[in-house]
Amino acid sequence: MSATTDFVAAQKQNRRNTLLLLAILTALAAAVGYGIGWLLEGEASGALPLVSPAGVAAAGLMAVVSIGWSALSLAVGDKMVLAMSGAKEIGKADAPQLYNVVEEISIASGVPMPKVMVLETDALNAFATGNKVGHGTIAVTRGLIDTLNRDELQGVVAHEMAHLANLDTRYMVVVGVTVGLIALVCDMLLRTMAWGGRGRSSGKKSSGGGILIIVLIVVAIFAPLAAKAVQMAVSRQREYLADATSVQFTRNPNGLISALGKLAEKAAPFPGVSRATQHLFIVNPVQTFTSKTPALLATHPDIEDRIARLRNLGS
Amino acid sequence: MSFWIVLGVLVAIGLWLIAVYNGLVGSRNQGQTAWSQIDVQLKRRHDLIPNLVQVVKDAMGYEQETLTRIVQARNNAVAASGPAQAGPAEAALTQATRGLFALMENYPQLKANDNVKQLQEELTTTENKIAFARQFYNDSVNAYNVRRQSFPAVLAAASLGFGPMDLFNMPETEREVPKVALR
Repeated sequence: MSATTDFVAAQKQNRRNTLLLLAILTALAAAVGYGIGWLLEGEASGALPLVSPAGVAAAGLMAVVSIGWSALSLAVGDKMVLAMSGAKEIGKADAPQLYNVVEEISIASGVPMPKVMVLETDALNAFATGNKVGHGTIAVTRGLIDTLNRDELQGVVAHEMAHLANLDTRYMVVVGVTVGLIALVCDMLLRTMAWGGRGRSSGKKSSGGGILIIVLIVVAIFAPLAAKAVQMAVSRQREYLADATSVQFTRNPNGLISALGKLAEKAAPFPGVSRATQHLFIVNPVQTFTSKTPALLATHPDIEDRIARLRNLGS
Repeated sequence: MSFWIVLGVLVAIGLWLIAVYNGLVGSRNQGQTAWSQIDVQLKRRHDLIPNLVQVVKDAMGYEQETLTRIVQARNNAVAASGPAQAGPAEAALTQATRGLFALMENYPQLKANDNVKQLQEELTTTENKIAFARQFYNDSVNAYNVRRQSFPAVLAAASLGFGPMDLFNMPETEREVPKVALR
């Protein structure tokens, strides 16, 4: 994906990509469900036919659970994230400049005014949550308010507003749930097979399908990893888009560029964040920036790379 | 027979006029709403400037000329009505405020004054809001004007009382938002 100045097209493309990735993840969940059903039916009947009614039923069940779990997370996930982070809602009197900047970007983006929250920590970071247009929250750390100048703060707030405008927060919840479900079910699958294997060795031998079982084990081991890689790919793409949309709102790439530079130096882990919520932040709050995460499993693109792309937009 | 043809044509023209009218009204209302949002911010700005002048007056007694200029620019801006007049007047006011902010850099006691800081922040955010709201207003006005001048609506627009709407342009402040260094 190259940097583009056509934001509307970029947004459309990103929405399409996310839908595609969601479809892949749901299909993966259904496939694993089929594997389990097929295996259980094989255990019961002693044979392993390729077409298994129990497998189809389990696949359907997985799809339903996946969608149901997503819906539940969308309903309550927002409040859970905010409660976990310990952010406190503020009014204009508490942090006038921050509040003003959020109001400005709300006007620039056409997104209704979100709630503004502050995290009492010296670390430099910010995040947004919100599953519906008009019900967003933007939270920034105290360290960020104290360290950034007005233009930089505007860039960061615009980046978070971009996540709200593009509904990234909603998509990431759905993707996160599906990935969690796949990990859970693959774990179940491996346990089922270990248990089933013992049962078989003491009695009747299955007539065939030994190779298929090995394939299934390989799938059960690699499916969660693949799903995780897909989730991280979505997350990184969203960050690039939010950076570009931020510039669309402020028309000033220098604010965000300079803010990202400061964040790269001073971002540090702080209480209240975990791997479950790390993708929400403007820069990764868990890893330190000296340590290298494998690119495939990083929630955020390299800050240097983000700055380089923003420079491209400015020229 | 010819009576029915004439009636049919009249009804068709009547329906077309209704459609043109409703389209233009919707489009014009959007522009007017956008303008009223800018107007709120302009009024806020006009209210803030006398306060700022009041606060800095004592410390900046020797800068009478600058202070007079900003008060004058503010009064002109208050007197201006409609986007076409307000544009240049507001641009002049922005220039005058910027001049004042620049001079205030020489007065450390002002920079440390919480009241001044607060007024500066409020003025900055108001100017930013005007700039951001202006984009939406101008987009709305462009859409309205294009609709009004397109064939076949152009045949009826003027006689239905739909005149052109003015863009809100602020010369010389096009790209740059005022930079206020508080740190």
